Amino acid sequence: MDSKTSEVLQGTLDLMILKTLHALGPLHGFGIARRLEQVSRDVLQLNEGTVYTALLRLQHQGWITAEWGTSENNRKAKFYAITRRGRKQLEVETENWERISEVIGRVLRLEQEEG
Amino acid sequence: MRTPRESRWRSFTAKLRGFVRAEPHDGEFEDEIQDHLQRLIERFVAQGMSREEAAMAARRQFGNTTLLHEDRRALQTLPTVEALWHDLRYALRALWRSPGYAIVSIATLGLGIGAATAIFSVIYNVMWAPFPYRDADRLVFVRIYDTQRGPSIGRQGYSAAEVREFVETNHVFDGTTAARGELVLYRHHTGTEAFGGVHVTPGTFEFFGLPALHGRVLQPADYEPGAPPVFVMRHKTWMERFGGDLSLLNQTLALNGTPRTLVGIMPPRFGWYGADVLIPETKVTGEVIDFRFLLGRLKPGVSIEQAAADLTVVAHRLAKVYPEQYPRQFSVHVGRLGDTVIERMRATLYTVLAAVGLLLLIACGNVANLLLARATVREKEFALRTVLGARRARIVRLLVVESLVLAISAAALGIFLAWGGLKALVAALPPRVIPSESVIELNAPVLTATLAVAVLTALLCGLAPALQSFRRDLSEPLRDSGKGTSGGFRGRRLRDAVVVMEVAVALTLLIGAGLLMRSFVALRDVRLGLQVDHVFTAAVQLPAERYVTAGQVTAFLQPLLARIKALPGVVHAAASTASPLDGGAESKIELAGKTQDRAWRASFRRLTEEYVPALRIELKEGRPLSAADVNDARKVAVVNETFVRMYLPNDHPIGQRVRLANLETAADPVRDAWFEIVGVVGDVRNRGLRAPNDPEVWIPSTIAGARLQILVVRTSQDPLTLTNLVRREVSATDAGVPVVSPGRLEDFVHQGLYAGPKFGLLLLAVFGGVGLILVTVGVYSVLAYSTTQKTHEIGIRMALGAEGADVLGMVVTSGLRVVVVGIAVGIAMSLVFGRLIGPQLVGVTAYDPPTLGGAAVLLTVTAAIASWIPARRAARVDPMVALRYE
Repeated sequence: MDSKTSEVLQGTLDLMILKTLHALGPLHGFGIARRLEQVSRDVLQLNEGTVYTALLRLQHQGWITAEWGTSENNRKAKFYAITRRGRKQLEVETENWERISEVIGRVLRLEQEEG
Repeated sequence: MRTPRESRWRSFTAKLRGFVRAEPHDGEFEDEIQDHLQRLIERFVAQGMSREEAAMAARRQFGNTTLLHEDRRALQTLPTVEALWHDLRYALRALWRSPGYAIVSIATLGLGIGAATAIFSVIYNVMWAPFPYRDADRLVFVRIYDTQRGPSIGRQGYSAAEVREFVETNHVFDGTTAARGELVLYRHHTGTEAFGGVHVTPGTFEFFGLPALHGRVLQPADYEPGAPPVFVMRHKTWMERFGGDLSLLNQTLALNGTPRTLVGIMPPRFGWYGADVLIPETKVTGEVIDFRFLLGRLKPGVSIEQAAADLTVVAHRLAKVYPEQYPRQFSVHVGRLGDTVIERMRATLYTVLAAVGLLLLIACGNVANLLLARATVREKEFALRTVLGARRARIVRLLVVESLVLAISAAALGIFLAWGGLKALVAALPPRVIPSESVIELNAPVLTATLAVAVLTALLCGLAPALQSFRRDLSEPLRDSGKGTSGGFRGRRLRDAVVVMEVAVALTLLIGAGLLMRSFVALRDVRLGLQVDHVFTAAVQLPAERYVTAGQVTAFLQPLLARIKALPGVVHAAASTASPLDGGAESKIELAGKTQDRAWRASFRRLTEEYVPALRIELKEGRPLSAADVNDARKVAVVNETFVRMYLPNDHPIGQRVRLANLETAADPVRDAWFEIVGVVGDVRNRGLRAPNDPEVWIPSTIAGARLQILVVRTSQDPLTLTNLVRREVSATDAGVPVVSPGRLEDFVHQGLYAGPKFGLLLLAVFGGVGLILVTVGVYSVLAYSTTQKTHEIGIRMALGAEGADVLGMVVTSGLRVVVVGIAVGIAMSLVFGRLIGPQLVGVTAYDPPTLGGAAVLLTVTAAIASWIPARRAARVDPMVALRYE
């Protein structure tokens, strides 16, 4: 229950979902989970249930919308789509992420050099 | 990143939505999850697992569904009633565990809230909503005033013709009523009683919009000439004089000689004109100059200024028709109904409200301090909670719930205190300063205000420590094992600031009380010009049908005064047409051989020869009126010193001739009203203790008839023993004459002149005293807390050789340092506050150094005592125990 760590994880998951929806267009939760699995190439151990928590969170912020529709095999499913505000948020978060990962990378390299 | 406020708002609205349509959502969400699991299972089966294996693997991959539901609920719902209930129980438990803290907080806040509630209900009921009438805030009266004398004094009574002109030609009223007051004598088989009566114009009851409690109000037909005479009675009169007897309705009473049928009893709060009985005005014609009080209801949207402008036009037209009734240069003042009664009270009430506001601040300060101290102690608890995963919002909620519990308990206590305090307050209120319509009570608006204040107080007191406890690093309080040297620097500073404010506020209150006390002493020293002890006074009202001329009145007065003088203990007995400390009727005057640059006026009274000795009034020159002057109705007069100073500054007054013009047009007219001045008396206060005196002219009672006579009797015994004797003698002289308001002159003077200032003084003194107690509690609690925190440090100091006295000095000094700063702030504050009470002060300025110094010394001494107790405890610390104390 270490809140700081989970905060980071949540943020990352949110960012990944936003990016996925931005890249692939409307998807249902199962589709998102598959896409994340595929992209992360099993590096990320993900409880797929947390995707739904993230989806709810994103909905609350108004960054994605949800709509009931019919999936490829004729089953009822909820489709999520990124909103305009979501796209803006994605830009901000992406930039943010890149900056942070660059800093972290630099710090790590520094330690390597010293070591 | 995210803009926190926006996203917080969004999630709140989403939660609200979730809260409103709670359950159906749950099902959808469950469907979605089940669908996902189903797809995973299908996928695993397709990869070659058995159905059971697939289901297990799917659940593993998906994670805990119950947790997911909980997450969703947390996101989509508001905190449940259950959670709040939990917080509430926790808060109650926490308070129960530290009863000292709870009791002091609740008592402190309760005192503040109680005082604020009591004063606010007086202000609300007396000043904001005193009248139960329809559109009471639009009801206004009209005053003609001499532009030289200013709008605060002038004529408010009009003749029937003037009223008609105002009513018919104004453009600003959508309704009017005129009242003509008259003393009404009610003759019954055992004697005569006097009622305050008022003749009202048609439409009066529709104007006020209040229905009768029993029976009916006056109807249009009642005002027709020749209609059967009827009247309506006020509730208070019905209850007090007739014991609320319903059979009185439809009975016929002899009022001023006319049998009138009682058709209605008004509800308790109807008190127009303070009248006991309301009589329909049937004679609306005639140019008789009598006093009609005109009340208008402004059309919606019409301002006071617009009304004044419009009515000024009408008044100038009237001034052309009745030039003698208008000053040479005049204007019209339009005032709200409320202004008529509360002008005297306003300054006192607002002063008191300010005082109470300050008191509430002190109370808040104390509780905030206690909470701060507690919050510091509980920092560890909160840090632990946070580390264990409690959200900050949750902890803030807990703190707010705790302070709400405190505030609500305090409000309950406060309302109880206010309820009792109001009773005392109403009893101490000077008479006749509140409108007869207003009932001082705890009503819904007042209680709402109390609750609002309580909640606000709770938030203020509770949130400050709550926020403070988050400012720090979480790990710090956990590491700190309780032996901290100063209990947190920032917390200490905040607590000190609160004490500084408390001291400042209490000092301001004490200085206010001190100033009012000095002022009151100065007022008591104002020379009245007469000796009030051992004097009995009463008014007698002579019935209009038998008493008009001076001869008729004298035929009643002379035998009555002779009878009274024969009573045991009576030294002197006299009659006057005005009360001793009241100027009486006013007249235009002329002095033979003098020219006037502006209209000269003087008050005049008619009296019998023993008036001056009965009241022990000082004779300055010449002689007082003699028995012969009165018996022979000689045209002689005595004037007061102010008269001489104003109109005869360079002349010898004796032998001058003065004309009282108004006597020539009075009900019992005096032809050629010139009087020779035979004496000058010392000034007797006639416009209260502060205003400059009016000039007065005293003439023999036998010159002109007057139906209202004030009896003044000096006795060697308690004046009250005369009450029944005088009643008997009046009744024996004429059974149709009532005795009105008998009593000691001393008591009337006290009520009329000293009760108001004394009331203000009493309130401020009580509040100043309570403020002092609260400050003592405040200083004590802060020092006690910080010394306890410093036990370890003190132990070290003592181990290193510090003496008990050093420790004592250290603690007391640290307390007094804060107090001194508070006193400096307080003196600055009271210089500002001084402006507010300045106008109420007599014989002392708002910046009176002895008062300021005295209050400061009193406060310092109190604070020193408050510091002494924790200091002594600190000095007794056993270093060994202190060092072991962890």
